[in-house]
Amino acid sequence: MTISIDQILPAETGERLRLARESAKITQAAAAQAIGVARTTIVAMEQGERRARTSELQQLARLYGTSVNALLRRESVHVDLAPRFRRMVGSDKAATEAAELMAHLAKAEVELENLLGIKRQRNYPPERTILPGDVKAQAEQDATELRQRLGLGIGPVTNIITLLEMELGVRVYVRRVDGRISGVFAYDDALGACMLLNANHPRERRNNSGGHETGHFISTRRQPEVLHLDETENSREERYANAFARAFLTPARAVLQKFQEVTAGADRMTRRHVIILAHFFAVSREAMVRRLEELGSVKPGTWDWFIANGGIRDEQARQVLGDLIVPDAEKADADRPTTLRLNLLAYEAHRRGLMSEGQLARLLALDRVELREILGSQAHDGNDLDGGGEILE
Amino acid sequence: MTATTSTEAGKYLSNCPPPLVADTSVVINLIATGFASPIIEALRHSLIVADVVPSELAIGSGRGRTDLERFNELVNGAIIKVASLGDLGMQHFESLVIGPAAETLDDGEAATIACAIERSGVAYIDERKAWRICSERYKALNVGSTVDLLTHADVRAQLSDETVADAIYNALQRGRMSVLPTHFSVVVSLIGAERAALCESLPRSIRLSAKKPAV
Repeated sequence: MTISIDQILPAETGERLRLARESAKITQAAAAQAIGVARTTIVAMEQGERRARTSELQQLARLYGTSVNALLRRESVHVDLAPRFRRMVGSDKAATEAAELMAHLAKAEVELENLLGIKRQRNYPPERTILPGDVKAQAEQDATELRQRLGLGIGPVTNIITLLEMELGVRVYVRRVDGRISGVFAYDDALGACMLLNANHPRERRNNSGGHETGHFISTRRQPEVLHLDETENSREERYANAFARAFLTPARAVLQKFQEVTAGADRMTRRHVIILAHFFAVSREAMVRRLEELGSVKPGTWDWFIANGGIRDEQARQVLGDLIVPDAEKADADRPTTLRLNLLAYEAHRRGLMSEGQLARLLALDRVELREILGSQAHDGNDLDGGGEILE
Repeated sequence: MTATTSTEAGKYLSNCPPPLVADTSVVINLIATGFASPIIEALRHSLIVADVVPSELAIGSGRGRTDLERFNELVNGAIIKVASLGDLGMQHFESLVIGPAAETLDDGEAATIACAIERSGVAYIDERKAWRICSERYKALNVGSTVDLLTHADVRAQLSDETVADAIYNALQRGRMSVLPTHFSVVVSLIGAERAALCESLPRSIRLSAKKPAV
């Protein structure tokens, strides 16, 4: 079944052209100049008042770094996440790039899922608007509510990524981005809730960032968000998200109970205690000590004392934890050109003849040889991993 | 960069060999052979690419791949010609890029087919989906793969078996060239069992059977 350009509503084509142009950071005037038409022609095309010719679409697609097929194939996903982030973060290049990466991965994943007939389960908790009054108290209450909903009791959340993906249906990507960026969050009707966490950060810090972004998911779902490293709490929303993360990852009763067990009547909290507690709750050592300060288990300023006295080093953590430290698998996955899940989806779409090499290379922003390596490595006849039983309906 | 348009299509007279129109996938493989110039020059046919191909090759440039530079050298040496689509080609292009994903192709693949139809040429694409679409919608169009091109009678007549074998092996190793099942035996016989066993882009069953000594 083929469709001609005349069968697509000009307004729909226009909207897709506008989103592609804005994603490519090109002005209407520059687009007009590049293809030799008046700016008003671009405006008319984007508003659906003038039908774009195929040759014009070809020129514009090339200018915007995409293809006519990517613009006009039925299943392609068109969202304005990247422009929305740019309006929010202004000239912050690192934040823009991280947001663009997340938008790119989510769009590709959703298109491939739609094509393969996969429906991701969304089990989102209700949104809790931040009310006037004590932000911290609201965050603690909402974090406890989410814990109850997930049946977590007061146990530690050792892997928030799995929890968000499997229990709630949030799309979480762990990729290497600029070290100043800790996390990115956005919600879009087509994509659902999406989060990107920085693979360059230690796992424990990523867990903190995941907790913070979950706070935004609960409280301010419709606002895109970028968390910077060591960001100051300059708004109620940020104070809420930080308090939510603390309460969700280190619930008061669990921390007090574990603190008592670990310190076992000692009169000082040592580095060893901090390392064991932080490991148990899978949070950073700083987050652990600050939570203990907040809960009144240690004096305010305890973390600052540690810092002033040489800090708590990774080597010391290795001495205390030994084999308990497991390799960071998410870092290894982040070194691949795309995610493991996208690889599998791409392979399946190619195997079934739904997407061509050219379509997939563009969708995943890979060069052809990279894509061929990925497709080849997943091939059923590719290696010893591929023998197995039939999947039943 | 040399560009021809459909107005020049008339030069392909009935006694001229039809032009061969190569998709991005085939251009990458040709460059990976290390023998792109002698292979193309051995052909009595012109080798054409659609004008969208360079922008597709550019996708890999940021990652250290040099396909676009090599391609530009071939264009500047008039070994490959770059062609724009005329009105007829544009109509075919439109029908190949707009619609459901499963029934459409990306711009380079679609433009290759449209260009081959417009110029009564042969489309060379390493893509099963494109072959399926052509067999359903353009029954009269001849479609080939990179292996067909590398083992073309003109190439075999001009280049030694050893060179052809090296070219295929390089395309498999450097370009991860895909091979049609119908071409497995010719590829293995040309490059030899030992080298075939090393090529990850060949199916495992072929690599394993290539390793086994002949009974």
